[in-house]
Amino acid sequence: MIKGRSYWADSLRQLRKHTLAMYSLGIIVVYILVVMFIYLANWTKTDVSFLDWNQQVGKEYEKPNKQNILGTDFLGRSVLRKTIYGARVSLTIAFWASIISILIGVPLGAAAGYFRGFIDDIVVWIYTTLSSIPYILLILAFALVLRGKTLNLNSLGLGTISLSGISTVYLAIGLTSWVDICRLIRAEVMKHKQREYILAALSYGCSNSRIIFRHLIPNVFHLIIISFSLRFVGFIQAEVILSFLGLGEKNSPSWGAMIDAARLDLPKGYWWEMTAATAAIFLISLALNIFGDALRDSLDPKLKVQ
Amino acid sequence: MRYCFLAILLIAGCRYSAEKPDPNDTVLYSSHGAKVRGLDPGDIGDTTSTAIASQIIECLYQYHYLKRPYELIPSLAEGMPFVSKDGLAYTIKIKKGVRFADDVCFNDGKGRELRAGDFVFAWKRIADIKYLSKNWWIFDNKIVGLDEFREYTKTCKRTADVDYNSPVEGLQTPDDYTLVIKLKKPWPQIVYLLAHLPTAPMAQEAVEYYGKDIINHPVGTGPYKLKRWHKGSYIEMVKNPIFRDEFYPSEGEPNDARNGLLADAGKKLPLTNRLVTVLIQEDPPQWFLFLQGKIDVSGIPKDNFSEAIDLRRQLTPEMQARNIKLFTFRDTSTYWFGFNMEDEVLGKNLPLRMALSCAVDRDKYIELFTNNRGEPAYGFIPPLMSCYNPDIKNIAQTAYNLQNARKLVKEAERIYGSKLPRLTLAMPGTDIVFRQHGDFLKRCFKDAGLDVEIDYMDWPTFQNKIKTKSAQMFALGWVGDYPDAENFLQLFYSKNVSPGSNNFNYSNPEFDRIYENACVMPDSPERDALYKKAEEIVIKDCPAIFLTHGVAFVLTHDWALNVKPHAFAYGTSKYRRVDPVKKAAYSELLRTLK
Amino acid sequence: MIAYIIRRLLYTIPIIFGVLLVTFILFNVVSGDVSDQIAGKAASAETIAEIRAEYGWDKPLFLSWDSQFINHLKNSLTFDFGRSWSDREPIIDKIKQGALPSLSLTIPMFIGELIISISLALIVAFFRGTIIDILSVFICVVLMSVPFLSFILFGQYFLAFKWGLFPVYFWPDLPLPQYVALPILIGIVAGLGGNLRFYRTVMLDELRNDYVRTAFAKGLGTGTVLFRHVLKNAMIPIITQVVLAIPFLFLGSLLLERFFGIPGLGYLMIDAIAARDFQIINAMTFIGAILFVVFNLITDICYSIVDPRVSFE
Repeated sequence: MIKGRSYWADSLRQLRKHTLAMYSLGIIVVYILVVMFIYLANWTKTDVSFLDWNQQVGKEYEKPNKQNILGTDFLGRSVLRKTIYGARVSLTIAFWASIISILIGVPLGAAAGYFRGFIDDIVVWIYTTLSSIPYILLILAFALVLRGKTLNLNSLGLGTISLSGISTVYLAIGLTSWVDICRLIRAEVMKHKQREYILAALSYGCSNSRIIFRHLIPNVFHLIIISFSLRFVGFIQAEVILSFLGLGEKNSPSWGAMIDAARLDLPKGYWWEMTAATAAIFLISLALNIFGDALRDSLDPKLKVQ
Repeated sequence: MRYCFLAILLIAGCRYSAEKPDPNDTVLYSSHGAKVRGLDPGDIGDTTSTAIASQIIECLYQYHYLKRPYELIPSLAEGMPFVSKDGLAYTIKIKKGVRFADDVCFNDGKGRELRAGDFVFAWKRIADIKYLSKNWWIFDNKIVGLDEFREYTKTCKRTADVDYNSPVEGLQTPDDYTLVIKLKKPWPQIVYLLAHLPTAPMAQEAVEYYGKDIINHPVGTGPYKLKRWHKGSYIEMVKNPIFRDEFYPSEGEPNDARNGLLADAGKKLPLTNRLVTVLIQEDPPQWFLFLQGKIDVSGIPKDNFSEAIDLRRQLTPEMQARNIKLFTFRDTSTYWFGFNMEDEVLGKNLPLRMALSCAVDRDKYIELFTNNRGEPAYGFIPPLMSCYNPDIKNIAQTAYNLQNARKLVKEAERIYGSKLPRLTLAMPGTDIVFRQHGDFLKRCFKDAGLDVEIDYMDWPTFQNKIKTKSAQMFALGWVGDYPDAENFLQLFYSKNVSPGSNNFNYSNPEFDRIYENACVMPDSPERDALYKKAEEIVIKDCPAIFLTHGVAFVLTHDWALNVKPHAFAYGTSKYRRVDPVKKAAYSELLRTLK
Repeated sequence: MIAYIIRRLLYTIPIIFGVLLVTFILFNVVSGDVSDQIAGKAASAETIAEIRAEYGWDKPLFLSWDSQFINHLKNSLTFDFGRSWSDREPIIDKIKQGALPSLSLTIPMFIGELIISISLALIVAFFRGTIIDILSVFICVVLMSVPFLSFILFGQYFLAFKWGLFPVYFWPDLPLPQYVALPILIGIVAGLGGNLRFYRTVMLDELRNDYVRTAFAKGLGTGTVLFRHVLKNAMIPIITQVVLAIPFLFLGSLLLERFFGIPGLGYLMIDAIAARDFQIINAMTFIGAILFVVFNLITDICYSIVDPRVSFE
C-alpha cells in the first residue's frame, strides 16, 4: 500500500531535494537569527562587542584592513558592525511591511472574491484608486503624514505607540503595498468559489466565515507564502529609496543610509561602506529569490508529479 | 537675513570653446547648486536668485570690488548721501542719464531714463501688503509714513485698488534726480541696505506689463540683460548695450597689483559679453565639469576636497599640474546650536548650557565637516568685523574640555534637582549630511555624560518649530548681510523674539539698552566698544553653542581673471574676464596629463 | 461589446473621483495650509493671511459650495493647478516644459529595455535548465541587487569623465541626443535584471502549458516552438505589462535626471519633494493617475476585442 501524502508534505519533500534552495534557506535563517539576537541583546541590555556599532574603532575612513575587515566610516566606526546591526532595520521593516500588507490585502481580497457584489465593487474601487497613484508618491505622502503622530492602541490594551523612523517606514510601505496580494487572493477565491468542495460546504449550510477561514484561505495560503517571500526583497529595496528621500531610520545604522552615504563617499574614493551594505542586501535578495522560486515550484499544483 | 547651514559660494567665469569661435564673443560659465526662484528684487529671498539678479539689476550703492575693509561706493547714486545733523533725513542724488535696459514693456521698446520716483515706487511696492513681499522687514518701522501706507493697503480689497500715488511723507522726490528719505529714528545701516538688492528701483511699466510674471522678466539698469532662461537648467545673460559708463577700479589692496587684479584698471565694464549659469545640484557632476574646464571658478564641494586640497590648505599636486588656483577668504558667518532660553530645562540652567558647549569638539568638527574650512567660534561676531573680540574664547569659558563639561553637568544636576532629562536638538534636514552631523554630536554629548536626542526634520517643519518656540535646541547660523555687527546683535534683541529673528528668545534688559543706544550711532571706536560689551553680556549667558565662523574657498582655473572673492557683493561678474588663449591651451594640457 | 465599453467608461468616473478624494485628503487636509512657509521667515501675520486667502486655504474644507474640496475638483479637472508657491510659476507650464525632456529619456530607455530583455529572455528560455539559464538568473539577481545610485555614480565617473565617451552632464546648446545617451544606457543596464527575470518567467510559464507539450510531442524543435507559439501567446501578459507601464514613463527617472541635469519631470518632482511643494506633487499625482486610468481602459477594451473569453462580470 502506498502511503498517502498530504499536499504540504509533498511540497516539503520536493523542496528539500532542491539543494540550492536549501542553502538559500540557510542564509535566510542566519539573517533572521542575527536580527533576533540583536533584539534579544537590546531587550536584556547586554553589551555584545560586535553589536556596538557606535564605538570608534579606528581612524576615520580606514580602508579594509586586518583590524577592521570592512574598514571604518566617517567617524571611525566599524563598517562590519554597522552592517550587522543594519540587518535589524532592514529586516524589521520588510517583515512588518509584509505582515501589514498581508493583514489588509488577504481579508479584503477574500471578502471581495467571495461575496462579490457591492463589497467587491468597493474593494476594487479602493485598490484601483490606490494603484493609479504613482507608488513613490503614495509612499512619500503616507510617510510624511505618519511621521510624528502617535498611535493610540489603548483600546487593544497595547498602550500608545509613538511613530518614529522605523515604524513610519513600514507602516507607509505596508499601507500602500497590499494591492497586489489583494488582487491575487481575490482572483483565486473567485476561481475556487466555483469548485465542488465549496458548493458542497454551502449545501450543508456552512456559514460564510467558516467557509472563508476554514476552507478558502488554507487553499490559497501557498500564494500568500510565495508573495511574502518574493515581496520581502522589494521592501528591503524600498527602504533604500526612502532613506535617500530622507524618510528612513536615522538613529541607528541601516543599509539604506549606508548606501545613501555613498553619494558623498564614492567621489572621494571610499567604496567600502557602500559595498558592504550592497553585499548584505545582495545576499539576502539572492537567497530569497532562489528560495522563493523553489517554493513556488514546489507548491504549484500544476507541477505536481504523480 | 539669509539663514544657511552650509553655505557654498559659487562664482565662476570661463570661456567655453564653442564650435564657432568668435574672438569678440567672450563667455563666462558658472554653476549653482540650487534653483533660481525668481528675479524680482522686491521679493527675492535666496542667495542663488540674488546672485543672478545682481548682474541685471542695480541699487543706489555697491561695494568697492577690491578695497578692504569693505566700503561702499555709489552705484546709481551720484555720491554718498547727505545726512542731516540729527541723522533723520538722507538726501541722495541720482545719476543722470541712466537708462533701464531696452524692453518691450516700455514705449517703442526703448529703455526709459531712471528717475528718483522709481525708488519710491519700488519701496512702496514692498510695503504693499498685497504684493506679499518677504522683504518688508527692511523697512519695517523705519521710514516716516511708510508703515501707514502699508496699513492703507490692508484696507484695499484687490491689488489694483492700491493707489501708488498716495503720498508717503518719508519718501520725497523734489525733482527727478533727488531722493529725500525721512526716518523715524537714526538708522546708520541704511546705506548698507541701499546696496542690498531688494531696495533696487523698479520701473512701473515693467510691473504693469508683466504682472505676476515679472519674476521671469527682470528689467534693470545693470550691465547685463536676461537672454534665455531654461527653468531648472540654465540661465544666459548678455551684455546690456546701453549700460552706463562704469569702469574697472584703479585701486585696491596692496597685493592686488601683484596678483594681476589691476591689469584691467580703467576699462569700461562689463568685460565679458555673455554669462551662462548652469544649475548642477549634485556634487560629482559639478566637480567633473570643473576639472574638464567647462566651469572656471568653483567653490569646493565638500566631498571632493581630498582630491584638491590636502590638510595643510594647499592644492594637491594634481590640481597644481592643472594650473588651478585657490583663494580662501573669510565670510561673515557664524554657525551655532542655539538654546531656547524659554525652555524650562535649559532656560534656567546656565551650567547645563555651558556643559553642552564644552562638550563639542570644535576642531574635530571643522576637520570632519568643513575639511578645515572654518574657524572655531566662541562668540557670534565674526572675525571680519572691526568689533570682533579676539579674547572672546576666554570670556566665554566654553572651549572644548571634557573634564569641565562633566563638572558642569554635576552642577547642572544639582540645580535641576535630579538626573537630567533627555534633551532634543532639532536639525533642519534629513539627508545624509545632517545625519552625519547628528551622529557626531551625539557622540560628543555622550562623552560628557549628556543624553541628547537628534530630531531630523525638513526645513519648513524646522522653521515652524522655531517660530512657535517649541524647539529646545536647534542647529542654525547667520550670514551677515552687511559689514555692521548690528546685523548680528539684533538676533538677541528682546523685541525680536519668535516669531522674529531672535530664535533664542533671549531677553536681557542691559543688552537691550546697549543695543538700542549703539545701533543708532554711526561707525566709530566708541560704537565698537559698545558692540563688544553687548556681545560679552550675551556670551556670559551662553544662549548657544557657537561652533564655527565660515571660511570659504574658491578654486579657479588660471584663465579666469580678476577673481577676488567678496563677502557681500553679488554683482561682480562685470569685473571678470577670461583669457581665451590659456583656455584653449587647457585641453592640450589635459591630454598631456593623461 | 459596446455595452461593456460603456460600462468600463462609466467605471472610470468613480476611480477618478477616488483619486481626487485621496489627493485632496493627502494634500489639503493633512498638509494644506503652508502660508507661513510661503511667506518666509520674517513675514508679518497680515502677509500670511493674505497668502492664505490667495490660495484659498481659509475656506471650509468640505461643507459649502465654495469649499476647498469643490475647488480642488474644479481645478484638477480643468488642469488648472495654480501657481507653484516657490517661484510663482504656473504649474501646468512647468509640467508641459518638463514633459519632453523626460519622455526623450524614458521612451528610448523603455523601448531599448523591451527589445533587449525579450530577446534575451527568449534565448535564455531556449537554454532552459542548462548552466546558461542558472547563470542568467544569478546575473539578474546581481543586477537587481546593486543600487541604482551606484550604476549612476560609476557610469558617470568612468564612462563620461575618465574615458570621455559621453558628456558628463547637460550643457547649454549641446544637442539632446548627446546628453541623454549615457543616462539611457545606464537606465537600460540597471533595469535589465528585473525585466529579464520577469520576461523569462513569462516565457517559462508559457512553456509549461499543454499546447507546448503537444508541440514538442509533434516533434517541433525548441526554437520553432518558442518563436512561433510561445512568443505570440506570451505577448498578452507582456503587452499588459508594457501598456500599464506607459503612464509612468512620463514621470521620468528621478535619479537619472538629477545626476545628468536633464530638465524633466523627475527633476521637477524631486525638487517638489525636497521643498515640500505639495501643489506640484498633487498635480503630478493627478496627471499620473489619469494617464493610468486611461491606459487601463485602453488595455481592457483591447482585451475584450482580442480575447472573447474575457469575462464580463
